[in-house]
Amino acid sequence: MRALGWLLAAWLLAAAASAGYPVVQPGVTVVLPQDSGSHPDFRTEWWYVTGWLSTAAGQPLGFQVTFFRTRPTLARDNPSAFASGQLLIAHAALSDPRRGRLWHDQRIARVGFGLAEAAVGRTDLHLRDWTLAAGDGAFTAKVAAEDFELALTLEPRQPPLLNGRGGYSQKGPAAASASYYYSLPGLAVHGQVVRGGVAEAVTGSAWLDHEWSSAALDAASVGWDWVGLNLDDGGALMAFRIRDAQGAVRWAGGSWRRADGQVQSLAPAAVVFTPGRRWRSPRTGIAYPVEWQLEAAGMSLALTPLFDDQESDSRLSSGAIYWEGAVEARRAGQRVGRGYLELTGYGERLQLR
Amino acid sequence: MRPAASITTALAVFAAQLRDRPLRLVVSVAAIAVGIALAAAVHLINASALAEFGRATRELSGTADLAVRGTKAGFEESLYVRLASRPGVRVASPVLLREAALVAGGTLPIEGVDPLLAAALRPELYGELAGLYVALLAPDALVLSASAARDLKLVRGDWLSLRVGGLERRLQIVAVLPAEATARRMGLMDISSAQWLTGSVGLLSRIDLRLAPGLDAARYAAELQLPAGVDAMTPALEQARAGNLTRAYRVNLDMLALVALLTGAFLVYATQALAVMRRRRQLALLRALGVRRGELRLAVLVEGAAVGAVGGVLGTALGWLIARLVLSLQGGDLGAGLLQTATTRVATPPLALALFIALGIVVAVAGAWLPARRAAEVAPARALKAGDEEAPAAVRDRLVLASVLLTLGAGCAFVPPLYGLPLGGYASIACLLAGAVLLVPAFVAATLAHLPTPRSPLLALLLARLRNSIAQSAVSLAAIVVSFSLMVAMAIMVHSFRDSFERWLGAVLPADIYLRVSPAADTFDLSTAAAATLAAVPGVARIELRRTTQLSLAPAQPPVMLIARALPRSGDSLPLVGYPVATDPTLPVAFVSEALRDLYGVQPGGVLELPIAGRAVRFGVAGLWRDYARSTGSVVVDLASWERLTGERRYTEASVWLAPRAAAESVRTAIEARLQGGDALQVIAAGALKQRALAAFDRAFAITYALEAVAVGIGLLGVVLAFAVQALARRAEFGMLRHIGLRRGQVLRMLAGEGAFLAAVGVGYGLLVGLLLSVVLVYVVNRQSFHWTLDYIVPVGQLALVALVLVATAALTAGISGRVATSGAVVRAVREDW
Amino acid sequence: MSVPLLALAGLVRRYQADRPAVIDGLDFTLAAGEWIAIMGESGVGKSTLLNVIAGLDRADAGAVRVDGVELAALDDDALTLLRRQSMGFVFQAFHVLPYLSVGRNVALPLALNGVPEREIRPRVAAMLVDVGLEGMFERLPRELSGGELQRVAIARALVHRPRLVLADEPTGNLDPKSAAQVLALLGRAVRAHGGGGLLITHSRAAAASADRAYEFDGRTLVPLTVP
Repeated sequence: MRALGWLLAAWLLAAAASAGYPVVQPGVTVVLPQDSGSHPDFRTEWWYVTGWLSTAAGQPLGFQVTFFRTRPTLARDNPSAFASGQLLIAHAALSDPRRGRLWHDQRIARVGFGLAEAAVGRTDLHLRDWTLAAGDGAFTAKVAAEDFELALTLEPRQPPLLNGRGGYSQKGPAAASASYYYSLPGLAVHGQVVRGGVAEAVTGSAWLDHEWSSAALDAASVGWDWVGLNLDDGGALMAFRIRDAQGAVRWAGGSWRRADGQVQSLAPAAVVFTPGRRWRSPRTGIAYPVEWQLEAAGMSLALTPLFDDQESDSRLSSGAIYWEGAVEARRAGQRVGRGYLELTGYGERLQLR
Repeated sequence: MRPAASITTALAVFAAQLRDRPLRLVVSVAAIAVGIALAAAVHLINASALAEFGRATRELSGTADLAVRGTKAGFEESLYVRLASRPGVRVASPVLLREAALVAGGTLPIEGVDPLLAAALRPELYGELAGLYVALLAPDALVLSASAARDLKLVRGDWLSLRVGGLERRLQIVAVLPAEATARRMGLMDISSAQWLTGSVGLLSRIDLRLAPGLDAARYAAELQLPAGVDAMTPALEQARAGNLTRAYRVNLDMLALVALLTGAFLVYATQALAVMRRRRQLALLRALGVRRGELRLAVLVEGAAVGAVGGVLGTALGWLIARLVLSLQGGDLGAGLLQTATTRVATPPLALALFIALGIVVAVAGAWLPARRAAEVAPARALKAGDEEAPAAVRDRLVLASVLLTLGAGCAFVPPLYGLPLGGYASIACLLAGAVLLVPAFVAATLAHLPTPRSPLLALLLARLRNSIAQSAVSLAAIVVSFSLMVAMAIMVHSFRDSFERWLGAVLPADIYLRVSPAADTFDLSTAAAATLAAVPGVARIELRRTTQLSLAPAQPPVMLIARALPRSGDSLPLVGYPVATDPTLPVAFVSEALRDLYGVQPGGVLELPIAGRAVRFGVAGLWRDYARSTGSVVVDLASWERLTGERRYTEASVWLAPRAAAESVRTAIEARLQGGDALQVIAAGALKQRALAAFDRAFAITYALEAVAVGIGLLGVVLAFAVQALARRAEFGMLRHIGLRRGQVLRMLAGEGAFLAAVGVGYGLLVGLLLSVVLVYVVNRQSFHWTLDYIVPVGQLALVALVLVATAALTAGISGRVATSGAVVRAVREDW
Repeated sequence: MSVPLLALAGLVRRYQADRPAVIDGLDFTLAAGEWIAIMGESGVGKSTLLNVIAGLDRADAGAVRVDGVELAALDDDALTLLRRQSMGFVFQAFHVLPYLSVGRNVALPLALNGVPEREIRPRVAAMLVDVGLEGMFERLPRELSGGELQRVAIARALVHRPRLVLADEPTGNLDPKSAAQVLALLGRAVRAHGGGGLLITHSRAAAASADRAYEFDGRTLVPLTVP
């Protein structure tokens, strides 16, 4: 459930019907590593890495690297090399408490010419010199943005977590409102962060989501809240809920893997998000509930942000404004995990151009 | 009197007189206004056209740091891949530019872009498109600019039919851009659809690059290792190139406008000088009342400045209106077809407008300078004495200065062009003209001295008067000499040009029918198969195929035209300048135009490297040919060599010779029917083609004629004014003559005779000077501006007619002004103490 | 009695219908050889009278006869010819053409009357002697004083021996001494050439130089006794 991806999907596909695209079906199981690559027939797909980093001086940072693929059209008869029918978008952000807001940058390109490619059968994405690729036992993510750079190695320490039923993740009351969705929680991170020309070594932990679909959200869904937490005990928790125009919960779900590896898929009723303190963006005037109480899998967790202003404004490219940032999870005042929280649909109805 | 008070008093006296006799003021203001209006109009039109060009360039490349451009045909898209993956390139936006033929007639420029990449460089224009990204991916989706939608009367959702390679294709308008996004008339498509639709898969026209911050665009461009025929330009350079294309033409027009202004200055001089003569008493009175010499001079100058300010404001406003009108009627290149922009906006740079008003003041003050000095020289005692008359000023001996100027003028004619402009030629014309004007009094005096004293008392009286007023006459004649001589020079130049052009057309169009793939349409090619069809049309005896294409030989220069046609090594059938020379027999031969020789320094006998099919090919330059069609250079090579080098069998033109007794028109329609090229293919009979070319020529020079006519008009106005003022000043004289027994008709005839004589002298002298100037125009200015040679021809009949009209007009107006001066008030006139 | 040189009968000239006439029924005759002065207040119509006599202004009623010829019967060309041959004019402002020499200025009426060039020169020279400008044939007007310029004008008015000389304030622009000389010359010359003439003047001294003087009041010419 990732904001940029969904927003772009909504933006790009607003007018188009999904007829003709492959349909996500219950009973189909995600198979790795084959499914870690691109599924170019599906309409939308993304690889989404979020995590916490720590500099040598112990300063905490949040980061996010996303590759999003879409197939906006079914037409395939145009012989032009520009007519691949696939579009690749990359987004990167760094949550820096010292800066008090995000460093972020994005790129967009049609797939083709070797300039922007998403490989089939393995995770290998690049958009010019921005890459996210599975290498020898680890992923590498490289992003050189206008004023910051990330060069990170992400080592899986836990097995993949197939969300929903074997990777079939329902997103609404209808069975067809669904995606194939797996996560790689607990990635060990090391690498380098450059901010304003100053390079620093970093370490940390991250979470990778890979999700693909042709029609996940139904028309009544206008916003959602999502959180993915690497628990300090070695477990992992993912929870989401989808809201309608009135703010009522339309669907919810999640996955919980205990430290011992036992996985529990969370039913809609098993996930309750309760908004707490709100923060109003000075730029957009939108008020986001940046603190939450989350009841999931019998746990009661307080979510608090690394800092308040983790709003992403990508109106220039996608028209999307949302909040996505690093959060800590506490239980009874004790930190139990860290991860990322994503809040969408808190402005006027999503600004889809 | 304190200076300020005395000047104010003097001005009040002048003002009172102007109120009494407003004609002089009106004419002075009008002269300045017309001159300024012309200069301002020409300048504004040029500035607007260039600004539009600049806007178009910026629109094309947006905030790109570099534009990589090929010729019209385009270049391989692999270059895009290479550039986009180069370090230092932040954004590489590929663009395909094509003209599509519309089924309904006409063409539409199509721009194919990747909206997402283009939006990064120019969000104002393509930001709109990015939002339509998905809709645009449909292969039949088209976005129209506001002006195209208006022009084609289409709205969102409508369909538009295009003809592509003989097939009709329907496109749906998925959106219309807001008017503020672009003023251009065009259609926008996704680049993949544009490539597919126009049969250009794999080709691009340009790539706009945004570089990483801190990189030097020009230096980066030099490291790109682009294939032959493709160059990288910064937007500034690109704009300069567009400017280069038309600079000579624009400077020519600017010069003409300045001539009109200069004539206006002469007119101010004439009116002020006459006014000073006329107001001797007033001036003397003021001096006697205690106005100092310098103050009087200042007062006359201030009066001139006021005339200039009023004329400047009126003229600038008028010029702006003219520019607006011309732009909406003819477009930014005044109909010359050099700038293909759709501008109707007049640039209104406040600074330039202020400068034109200031120019009006400067010109008027300059015109008042000498008269102001003379005003200050008035001796009060003498002038106030009853019966005192203006002493006939001696013809000043300016022979030395005049001969220095004439020598200088002759010398300047031999200066090579500077910055690609014939500045030496212009300087030469200015010096010759100035020298000639200085000699006007001497010429008039010499002419009068050689006339025998006539028997008729009237003629004797006339001659006596003329001999006595050489200085005054010279003043009013200068304006007509300046304008008429320039008109003569221009007429000779244009006539020589037109005559040479006509003969050249005969030489380059020997066949009966011409086929041309419309330069505006990229969607039809004359293939070998089409050529075979063509040859089989009944009535066609023989066909000759050609391929023309543009090559870029230097980044800052406009592209040159390459013409591949059947061509013997001797260059027979080309209008050659001089004789062909022997070249390296191992190299294919090329014949270059005079412009190409001048611009790139290529000489016959040398070697020319042309970027063909992505590599540099060496040609032996076997000769020079005359090409009036392309002032930016052209080169002719043999078609067989071209086909061997490129492997292409596609042609852009075909010449058709008819079989004996075949009717041109029926063969022409048969060809049209057989080839099915639609609007993309033009089939024209040779006669019609020649006619069209000559019509275009005449259109291009229409503005030249118009400017010249206005200059001559101003000159004539000066003469008329001089007569009017003098006639009024001589009312008492006419009154006395009437008293002592001259009939009114005799007085009028005398005046008309004076007018005719003076005009004849001015026109005759102007003719001589004009002949001199025309030599400079034809052999220096034209040669250096356009890089081609002309045969010198004098349009005797045309010039004689204009001369006759001028003399007749002068006589007539002199007569009319006399009629006013002698009407009724004979009685009062003799009583006037003037 | 022979035909008078000038006969005015019931002469009326009015400029506006609703205003009193400037000349209202004037009767007057002038015999050949008479040189008379006409005085009067400013605006009383003296100059109008002169112009009507010269044929430069038309009478509204009544007749003007010069040597018995009724002016009303003549068209403009005939009037011009009459002036050219039979009249001479002297103006207050001299009106000597600045671009002609003194001699050529004086010669103008002769040239206009078609007198051959070989006759013109001696006649002009003689005339110049008469007006005291001997040997000044080739001088230019600007080299002359006011009195001398008026002598040139007088020479021009008389050189063709006109029947009638009309002088309108000829001394208005001259100092008393020059004025006296010019007046004396004028009277003498008019009489010497056998014509008659009218002298319009403000000055009693000038009037005294004529044979007789009249006061003009618009209706009649009242004889004045000149002291």
